[in-house]
Amino acid sequence: MIRFYIALWASKLSVIALKLTGHNATDFPGTVALKLCPNFLKYVSKPSRIIGITGTNGKTTVTNMITDALAATDLKVLSNKEGSNIKTGIATIFMKGVNVFNRSTYDLAVLEIDERSAPVLFPYFKPEILVINNLTRDSTMRNAHPEFIAGILTEELPKTTKLVINGDDLIACSVAPENERVYFGIDSLDTDTDKCINLINDMRVCPKCHSKLEFDKVRYHHIGKVHCPSCGFKSPECKYSGSNADFDRMMIDITENGKTYSVKLINDSVFNIYNSVCTTALLREMGYSAEDVVEMMSVLSIVKSRLDEKKAGSYTLIRQLAKDKNALATSRVLDYISSRPGRKEIIMMMNCLHDTVQWSENTCWLYDCDFEFLKNEDFVRIIVTGERCLDYVLRLRFAGVDMSRIKAVFNYDDIAGALKLEEGTDVYLLNGTDSIKAADKVEAEILERMRKKSEGGME
Amino acid sequence: MRIEVLFPEICNLYGELANVRYLRESLPDAEFVETPFTGQPVFLTEDVDLVYMGTMTEQAQVLISEKLMPYRDVIRNRIDDGMNFLITGNALEVFGKRILEDGKHICDGLGIFDFESRRDKRKRYNCIYVGEFDSGEGIMKVVGYKSLFGFAYGNAFKEHAFLNTTLGYGINKEISEEGIYVNNFIATYITGPLLVLNPPLLEWIMREKLGVEGRKPAFYDDAMKAYEYRVEEYTRPGKGWEY
Repeated sequence: MIRFYIALWASKLSVIALKLTGHNATDFPGTVALKLCPNFLKYVSKPSRIIGITGTNGKTTVTNMITDALAATDLKVLSNKEGSNIKTGIATIFMKGVNVFNRSTYDLAVLEIDERSAPVLFPYFKPEILVINNLTRDSTMRNAHPEFIAGILTEELPKTTKLVINGDDLIACSVAPENERVYFGIDSLDTDTDKCINLINDMRVCPKCHSKLEFDKVRYHHIGKVHCPSCGFKSPECKYSGSNADFDRMMIDITENGKTYSVKLINDSVFNIYNSVCTTALLREMGYSAEDVVEMMSVLSIVKSRLDEKKAGSYTLIRQLAKDKNALATSRVLDYISSRPGRKEIIMMMNCLHDTVQWSENTCWLYDCDFEFLKNEDFVRIIVTGERCLDYVLRLRFAGVDMSRIKAVFNYDDIAGALKLEEGTDVYLLNGTDSIKAADKVEAEILERMRKKSEGGME
Repeated sequence: MRIEVLFPEICNLYGELANVRYLRESLPDAEFVETPFTGQPVFLTEDVDLVYMGTMTEQAQVLISEKLMPYRDVIRNRIDDGMNFLITGNALEVFGKRILEDGKHICDGLGIFDFESRRDKRKRYNCIYVGEFDSGEGIMKVVGYKSLFGFAYGNAFKEHAFLNTTLGYGINKEISEEGIYVNNFIATYITGPLLVLNPPLLEWIMREKLGVEGRKPAFYDDAMKAYEYRVEEYTRPGKGWEY
């Protein structure tokens, strides 16, 4: 235990040092703790109740929503909502949750948990409830495929953990079949179809008889309601079922055991409608009454758009994160942008710059991603950038995009100058997590060019 | 011309259906037969010009091995008779003797080639890849990626290697040989859109295996620009390759 206390104190000191030097203390203190005491997670005291949120997309949003919703209660909540979700980040947050004598000072932990990190986390703590929001394709190199991730969770999950699962995601539903569970889902949306138009659909085959599944309702990719015409297998009944999404009032009805109540939505995207239903289900399973949940959800702030808009003169620049190597998340972004009205120029900087330094980006994901959304002729110019720009050009040719609309720019310094900047055309700048800083610089250059052009001056 | 795609609803990981898409774009007059898992492969009873199967999940490997097992002699005869096959990623493992995980037997392969596959799902082997293919007309560089849980071991690769690895993993860490090329059967551990990344390879398959004369693969100029850039990039001195 001496080793543990040295690790705890060193880790706490590192937080102070990082704060004094203006750095985030979300990951490094945990690294220090685990380096000095590899069993740090075993010995560090934890709150008596732990809620986990995992899945491929939406973990951070749901963790934020739950944490914000619980802020109005008298519970003292420990959360990694601003931190890392892997082992070092979890070690950091547990370290922050204890005093120097290793006494936990929180009632509850709400933890975003990296789905791939289950084997190195669950030996050390047992979540009372784990949310699985969805399991979809992510990085080929790290996550392989969602069935593999579902397998990891099934092997590693404590048997006592209750699951709150998106019942409209049959891959998520396959996790840990012996664990107690409830499902949440969306009964219907105006945008429902019965045919998946996405390249990725990882639930085409019945898990029971391997016949082709039929989709009754498709939200995106494999998310929706299905049934097997051969053996009768179908999506599970959801205890918490959303319907009648009203985007004027930003409310959705939740039907639970025949009773209906309305909760606030934070956004009109399908992703975030699921996040709201998920948060509702989790709060109910934590024991809050429906009335309390309606009240708790009402404090959550509405994000009118997922897009970060900036005006410069008569032009609009819209910045959006599109995760590197995550074909599904990027497909969602392209779908959303293509559905927005008006002519657009789009710049793609989802370049895995860290990979480029060490080796080279694995571009398999480009052929899982729905670049076909860019066929829409509202996209008057598509600027592909960086070392992989030739791969993007080829991918866009496959998508049926006319070559006259594609511009390949190797050097980021040349991006702003490659824009047409026609009146009434919005500019979308997409960056990955690796290219945030590079995109900041490009954004500043674009805004400067927009301002000058608006003023009629020399560019 | 008839091209059969085996089980595309489950053999579709890592963007590999782009291989089929590229064949479609490049061979607009060809008939494509997509055989579902519940269906009977056409090539077992009829002539087809090319059979393609790509990467799948580990559970699907077991299902597909079991499904094809009753036909392994037919499949062996088809290969011996010179039918064209293109097999990518872990679909290769179906044609070996067995698949092991953590040293434990997972399933029998078709046993058509002398090798076994050994995986450890706690590990992930990722690399960029360059190999040399002796097409008989000269040496062609084949580029791509590997993302695997393990490797394959056996005599098949020494006897019938498709590629000689110059960057990245061979069929396993110990040897530079990669894949299998016997008669007109081509199998490789390379994952992803192999043909898209290698228009010279597709051009060679179209000409030498499918008898298509005077036609280039679709989007040829753009595909070649990306290919040539990648070959130059991957062969830069000191280029890191293991992720």
